Amino acid sequence: MVVLKQEEMLSLAEKAVNIAVKKGADEAEAFVFQGLNTSVGIERGQIARTSRTIDRGLGARIIINKAVGFSYTNVLESEAVIEDTVLRALGSAKASKPDKDWHGLPAKKPPASVKGTFDRRIEELHSEDLVKTASAMLDAAEKTDKRAFPIEGGVGSGCLSMTIANSNGVAVADYGTIIECSMATIGREGSEVTPECFEFNFERRYDINPEWVGEEAARLAVSALKAKKIETKGVSVIFTQFALQQLLYFTLINAVKADYVQRNQSVFKNKIGMKVASENVTIYDDGLLDGGIRTWRFDGEGVPQQRTLIIEKGFLRNIIYDNYTAKKEGKESTGNGARAGYLSTPNVDSTNFHILPGDKSAEELISEVGEGLLVYSVQGAHSSNPASGEFSVVAAPSWKIKDGEIVHAVKGAMLAGNIFQVLTHISGLGDNERKTGQLVAPWVLVENVKVIGK
Amino acid sequence: MPLLNYSSLKLEISILEGTQRLKEVLVKVVDAVEQKSGAEYVEVRAQQLHKTMVTLKEGRVEAAKQGIENGAALRVLVKGTWGFASVGALDVKTLSSAILDASKMAEAASSRRKAPIKLAQTKAFEDNVALKPRKDPSKIPIEDKISTALAVNDVILGFDKRVRSCTVNYLDLTGTTCFINNEGACIEEGKLYVWLGVGATAKEEGVFTFSRESVGSTSGYEVFDVETPEKIGQMTAKRAIEQLRAKPPRGGAFPVVLGPNVVGTFVHEAFGHLAEADLTLSGSVLSDKLGKKVASNVVTFYDDGTIKGAFGSFKYDDEGVPAQKTLLVKDGVVVGLMHNRETAHQFNAKPTGNARAEDFRVEPIIRMRNTFIEPKNYSFEELVEDIKFGYYLKSLRGGQANLDGTFQVGIQEAYEIVSGELGEPVSNASISGNTLETLFKVDAVGKEFELWPAVCGKGQSAFVCDGGAHTRVKEVLVGGSA
Repeated sequence: MVVLKQEEMLSLAEKAVNIAVKKGADEAEAFVFQGLNTSVGIERGQIARTSRTIDRGLGARIIINKAVGFSYTNVLESEAVIEDTVLRALGSAKASKPDKDWHGLPAKKPPASVKGTFDRRIEELHSEDLVKTASAMLDAAEKTDKRAFPIEGGVGSGCLSMTIANSNGVAVADYGTIIECSMATIGREGSEVTPECFEFNFERRYDINPEWVGEEAARLAVSALKAKKIETKGVSVIFTQFALQQLLYFTLINAVKADYVQRNQSVFKNKIGMKVASENVTIYDDGLLDGGIRTWRFDGEGVPQQRTLIIEKGFLRNIIYDNYTAKKEGKESTGNGARAGYLSTPNVDSTNFHILPGDKSAEELISEVGEGLLVYSVQGAHSSNPASGEFSVVAAPSWKIKDGEIVHAVKGAMLAGNIFQVLTHISGLGDNERKTGQLVAPWVLVENVKVIGK
Repeated sequence: MPLLNYSSLKLEISILEGTQRLKEVLVKVVDAVEQKSGAEYVEVRAQQLHKTMVTLKEGRVEAAKQGIENGAALRVLVKGTWGFASVGALDVKTLSSAILDASKMAEAASSRRKAPIKLAQTKAFEDNVALKPRKDPSKIPIEDKISTALAVNDVILGFDKRVRSCTVNYLDLTGTTCFINNEGACIEEGKLYVWLGVGATAKEEGVFTFSRESVGSTSGYEVFDVETPEKIGQMTAKRAIEQLRAKPPRGGAFPVVLGPNVVGTFVHEAFGHLAEADLTLSGSVLSDKLGKKVASNVVTFYDDGTIKGAFGSFKYDDEGVPAQKTLLVKDGVVVGLMHNRETAHQFNAKPTGNARAEDFRVEPIIRMRNTFIEPKNYSFEELVEDIKFGYYLKSLRGGQANLDGTFQVGIQEAYEIVSGELGEPVSNASISGNTLETLFKVDAVGKEFELWPAVCGKGQSAFVCDGGAHTRVKEVLVGGSA
């Protein structure tokens, strides 16, 4: 399939907007996305599959009499299809109901400038290069320990471009790269099987270390062997970034979205300026983070991305907005109109959710724990109560800490609590910040978390 | 050296409208590729689908959405390694070039492979599966779909003042898929899914509750004649309100009765995933359990793709294998796994029709269909009457399993059982434990059978049902946020 150039994508978007306006739309917006992805997959200790996909399409949002219609197509080859798509969106808008809170599409603004979101070396990678990278990761895991079994993983690279045009004169384009390598392992010894252990690198620049990922995934799996059950009690817990991301995704990150606040679904309603976390907690939504996985020049509505202070030394300062939720309150969008490709209308979402690091090394954090757990991952976070923040999850893999040292792996422990209470019980943050997709954070030490064991 | 030269395929190039022409093109592409390349196996799966989506928030139509998704997924097996390509186009040139690409990549990767991937033999079916919905969603105006969603919204927001928010998502998907491989399979199958998901929150004195329900069907829009907006709305809102006065569970091990909705998810998450043969091979705790006892005598599990109209049903899977009713556990003994053609070959078993792909963007992988525990003969009262203190876990929020057999199932609606009777509502409970230990503690199964629609995630999403009958477990770890 012929790869579309950015100018071609932008001209398609503008064409769609023009057709819409000509056909009677009050306002129109077109989003054109193109993603080229190449990947090599590992299954059960071997390279099993290679894949190349091209996905692209156009999504048209059209407003008539304050009613919103949307239509998309993944066929961009002919002008007739673009016109059909616009007509379907018009039809949808006519079928829809007016929304009194609709106050127009975003106005034209210059896109932000960003760093570290594109690397020509990724663009030039061949599948053979990815096979080599996957092999290196696999070899490193195998060499580390025979008891570790790489069950799945792989290497993938992507080149993504998006353009947005609207009837207010917005006409913007951005292009970025992405590369990731990952490995999931289990430890096996006798009849014991560990929970799945996982390590990865996920970057915008060609800056991955497959050997480290392989070694680390294998090391984790082996150290998760010989797991024992523990007693039920309240203890200190260190959450690594994976576990943190899982716990925050359905709770804290939703709670700071204007949509949730306006719709009475957030505990942060009417809490701006109030203390919601320990004083050592500062969080930004940073759409401009250097090399951030979600760093782009503009959001899914063409609004420049920005850096927004969410929690400052424990105090809630701001929430995040897209165009609709901002205008509803007479405010400006914070550049958080996220889009799941061309298939959907924008929704409020965090860009890079950045919990600022502290100054303690991982070892120092562990040494501060008298009795507690080190939790790498949790199971069942998606079954938290998203409104209240209550969670009840299995900590796996996790390790027991006693008198400042890791003593053994833990089997089947559950953690129960409320994520908003957890925020107020954070007593320490590591200096080991890393990106795990949307979240950028260090390890976090939390006091008095209920652990349900035997 | 390229495996084939696609420029030699002098065929017409066009975007296709009719499925007949589409089929002809796919056959030509597959034939030509097979002749020119060293591929052992070639398949093309093309889709032409139309989607309608409506999202309502407190009765506000966020957007009425319609979309077209046409594209093809191409798979080749070259020297025992898979090559896959996906393109959003259905013309000969694009498809041929994508296959060429996939073949080259697979060949490059095969040098690292110790044991080549092989496929179990299957009959190559030629079939045309047309659907006959009583109410075809593609023929229903979007205004009517908005009205249905609004009706659900009105029931929920009108139920009680303490209901604070309500989201209704409607989705339907209609069209056809064409599957063709170099073994002679040529299957055209109609696709139809109707889904409606509802979420409501309630708030009173600082207590937040959240409740959700969903409806899913492969038969047609007529599902709303049975699952009426009134019924769905009432169920969702009533729970959100009742949960306001619910108390957290005591943490610890207790006897429980699992509702069909919860036991279904338990079977799906805690056992089903481990019995997906790819995960079994990856070392799940079932890897050495085939033919062995893993559960008490009252436990029989099925994964069934043939239940008419159920959300996880279809005629052929995405490798052209007919869906079937697969017995997984019989009277406590593991008797079968869920296979695709690759794992079936490794286990010297028959493919079970469990290879499913979410859409043309992804490869088929082993997925469940409608998974359930077979009903026995207990009434609900009989299941509860002997429990001094325990919990009735009626409706689930979500679940997750790990290869080591650790499961977690979160509950959105639960009640205490006190001296054999249902007591106070309980909030935010969840159960967890080791699957095999827990299955031996199942001591009674009820008689009323229910299936509940769900969307299962395993990298890709799949529409499924989970269910069975009320099931009693002597003891399981109950966690709550007390």
